[in-house]
Amino acid sequence: MKRRTWILSALGATGALVVGWGVLPARSRLGSPKLMLPTQGDVALNGWIKIAADGAVVLAMPRSDMGQGVHTALAMLVAEELDVPLGRVRLEQAGADSIYGNVAMLVASLPFHPLDSEGDKPAKIKLAEWLVVKIARELGINATGGSSSVADLWDPLRMAAATARASLVQAAAAAWKVPAHEITVREGLMQHPSGPSAHFGQMGPAAAGSTPGHISPKARQDWQLIGRSAARTDIPAKVTGQAQFGMDVRLPGMLFAAVRMNPVLGGAAPSMDTQAALAMPGVRQVVPLAPWGGGTGGLAVVAINTWQAQQAAQAVKVQWPAAGAEAADTARIRDKLLQALDTESGFTFHEQGLPQKAEQTATRRIDALYQAPYLAHATLEPMNCTAQVKDGKVEIWVPTQVPQMARAMAAKVAGVQEDLVNVHVTLLGGGFGRRLEVDFVGQAVQVAMACKGAPVQLVWSREEDMAHDFYRPMHLAKFQAAIDAQGDVSSLRIKSAGDAITPRWMARAAPHLSGPIDMPDKTTSEGLFDLPYGFLNQHMSHVATRSGVPVGFWRSVGHSHNAFFSESFIDELAVATQQDPLAFRLKLLKDAPRYAAVLQLAATQAGWGQPLPAGRAQGLALHKSFGAIVAQVAEVSVEQGQIRVHRVVCAIDCGTVVNPDTVAQQMQSSVAFALSAALFGQIDIVGGVVQQSNFPSYPMVTLSQTPRVETHIVPSTRQPAGVGEPAVPPLAPAVGNALFALTGQRQRALPLVA
Amino acid sequence: MQLNINGQSLNASADPRTPLLWVLRDELNLTGTKFGCGVAVCGACTVHVDGQPVRACVTPVSALGNKQIKTIESLGTAENPHPLQAAWIAEQVPQCGYCQSGMLMAAAALLDNNPKPSDADIDAAMTNLCRCGTYQRVRAAIHRAAPAMQNPAIKQGGAR
Repeated sequence: MKRRTWILSALGATGALVVGWGVLPARSRLGSPKLMLPTQGDVALNGWIKIAADGAVVLAMPRSDMGQGVHTALAMLVAEELDVPLGRVRLEQAGADSIYGNVAMLVASLPFHPLDSEGDKPAKIKLAEWLVVKIARELGINATGGSSSVADLWDPLRMAAATARASLVQAAAAAWKVPAHEITVREGLMQHPSGPSAHFGQMGPAAAGSTPGHISPKARQDWQLIGRSAARTDIPAKVTGQAQFGMDVRLPGMLFAAVRMNPVLGGAAPSMDTQAALAMPGVRQVVPLAPWGGGTGGLAVVAINTWQAQQAAQAVKVQWPAAGAEAADTARIRDKLLQALDTESGFTFHEQGLPQKAEQTATRRIDALYQAPYLAHATLEPMNCTAQVKDGKVEIWVPTQVPQMARAMAAKVAGVQEDLVNVHVTLLGGGFGRRLEVDFVGQAVQVAMACKGAPVQLVWSREEDMAHDFYRPMHLAKFQAAIDAQGDVSSLRIKSAGDAITPRWMARAAPHLSGPIDMPDKTTSEGLFDLPYGFLNQHMSHVATRSGVPVGFWRSVGHSHNAFFSESFIDELAVATQQDPLAFRLKLLKDAPRYAAVLQLAATQAGWGQPLPAGRAQGLALHKSFGAIVAQVAEVSVEQGQIRVHRVVCAIDCGTVVNPDTVAQQMQSSVAFALSAALFGQIDIVGGVVQQSNFPSYPMVTLSQTPRVETHIVPSTRQPAGVGEPAVPPLAPAVGNALFALTGQRQRALPLVA
Repeated sequence: MQLNINGQSLNASADPRTPLLWVLRDELNLTGTKFGCGVAVCGACTVHVDGQPVRACVTPVSALGNKQIKTIESLGTAENPHPLQAAWIAEQVPQCGYCQSGMLMAAAALLDNNPKPSDADIDAAMTNLCRCGTYQRVRAAIHRAAPAMQNPAIKQGGAR
């Protein structure tokens, strides 16, 4: 296999970061106790763990919980190593030090072929990964995304907790004058057979400052918590209405702001007549808004409650600057992508064998064009941020996936140093990638600056949220397969086109680190260039386009549409060569046994090939993303002109599992999320203006439309991989393939139609 | 203006046209009731008015008069949960949790009116949107809670 192209693109993806950094010294992620602020008699043992006076464990939490259960999973790792009940671990928001940065997420951005990055890795891949780890450690970007939280913190958190435990045991051994190895720890209580016992809180001060050596986390067979379903710690507050989302922050003297943005994406603030709005009851002021963080300009109205602010925002008489002739238009963008596919060669993400030769000697060729629309995130909690600017300091309360980027944005808008900004991360009412952006943070701080020290909560209406997203980009892909004289598929060529997200996100989120906007971005081709199937000859390339629409990371990113393209086309090949879709895939997975095992498990559990009730059919799909392999079998029918999905069987290999019930939750979640997109999801833009505005025009599945989802986990001792996203990509092709089996109609565009 | 909320008479000074949602959230600091769409589609703002599920985002406070308003804050507590809240915990329903107040209030109204709902009854009554896709567990939790609701003490409002 030729690896040159991967290495080149790897350097493309990270090249801007590599330059100037060189080789950096290795540093532990244990961190100094100074990173955790002491409160009420607790003692920090390292950068992650404090011991409270009552023996509770306080964990520095750098990741955001947006529903994926990561606050529970990460606390489980710590409880396991310290031998305390899960309920004894309290969370405290982590600071901004680089030990809290997300290394795994950056490493995952390397465009390596999965079959090459499993097992014994080639030296070049090891070198590239090593370099990126160094760079990621130095940058310390704290982000919750890429299904990476457990994968990233698996080793650091267990090491931090194991080290803390050893310090505490060492302190008890010294106090009791007994050998440390004779002390047992159960439920946070240390005990020596000769009698003395103490809880962690009693030994915290004595343990501080000690640095025990030769620490390693528990052996797998000693786990009490990891691998067993635990009740999520955040659920009691979520069923009593007590959980604090961004919208729920309440401060003395707080004002409320509503925004009204230029309908044209990326447009500027209007000229306005505010007289009528200011005359309305409870209205304090109108603030023109600059376009922050790659967003759109507009205005905000500040009032004594959100509704008054919303009413007054509509009462402002505005004249928006005219949209240019280049304003985004989805019909035109589609034509441009099509043209790009025909005229440009793009960047090669993967090449093996001699595809051109195979094509020349083919007896038959199969061509197909696939497409996917723009999509909005539509988190149920709309974008919001609460801010206070007072005495040269800035305080923000924000549901965000990127607290340090929120801090940098607040500092920029307020014109202060970053260390004068204090960020409180609340719970997130959904994230899905939308809260990797900080446009609304800039707005809130700008409005707070006009409020003379009063705190202000800025909330978007659903309509603003829908019409001013950073959308999943439209993508098109052209497939060409060659069939040889034996009737086998001898080559596969895929060329895709669409806007690259990562370089644009870097440019708006971390401009000092960003490279050229069109540099190769793995997310454009993931799910196309990295297929596990053993086609001898392959060529996968992507043409990066510039469509002028703000684009962002949408749950499972490029995989979300590329898996629909590739797994639907694989199904087409099975049909064209008159083979069962399962048998066809298994034959091509001889060198990918993990994939084959997952696929086989899903098929067996779903009863693939067995008779179904009349009017129903099954379809399957297999896809790897974020380190996890997921296969799904969907059972569908068409009833009264509507596609109905009755049952989805999921099999997943995500390495070591921390909380199995969370895996099942995420399979159910991903199926519902992906089904909404597959059946209904489409954002249209005309003259720069998004045409959808609220749930009636951008629907999502309801309870009655939700299939029964079954989860089967492949036991594994590998490092943990992601679970929040990997079950999204296979759903659309599984449903599409089932529809083909049912109707004989091949669907090559999303959303699917009955 | 006096409003009868969770058994208490509370004074609200907002414009009478203001939807109940914003009086609850912004004036009375009862933030358990959520804003999702503002057009009575998503159900995140579901509360009870005289025992019926109502979408607070389109219900002006002027329409309420003396009617009894019940929000998630009075459904139950961590110590003394409503059977639905206990079932929600047992089934591990919430993910992000944002829609769950409205989901629970809709489910509570359903069980008040129909103590043993079928799947079809649940399909018809539970129209709230959940972006995380907790629907399958919502259904299971309603089925789990239904028998517990038969307890006469609970039926008469003892646990609420």
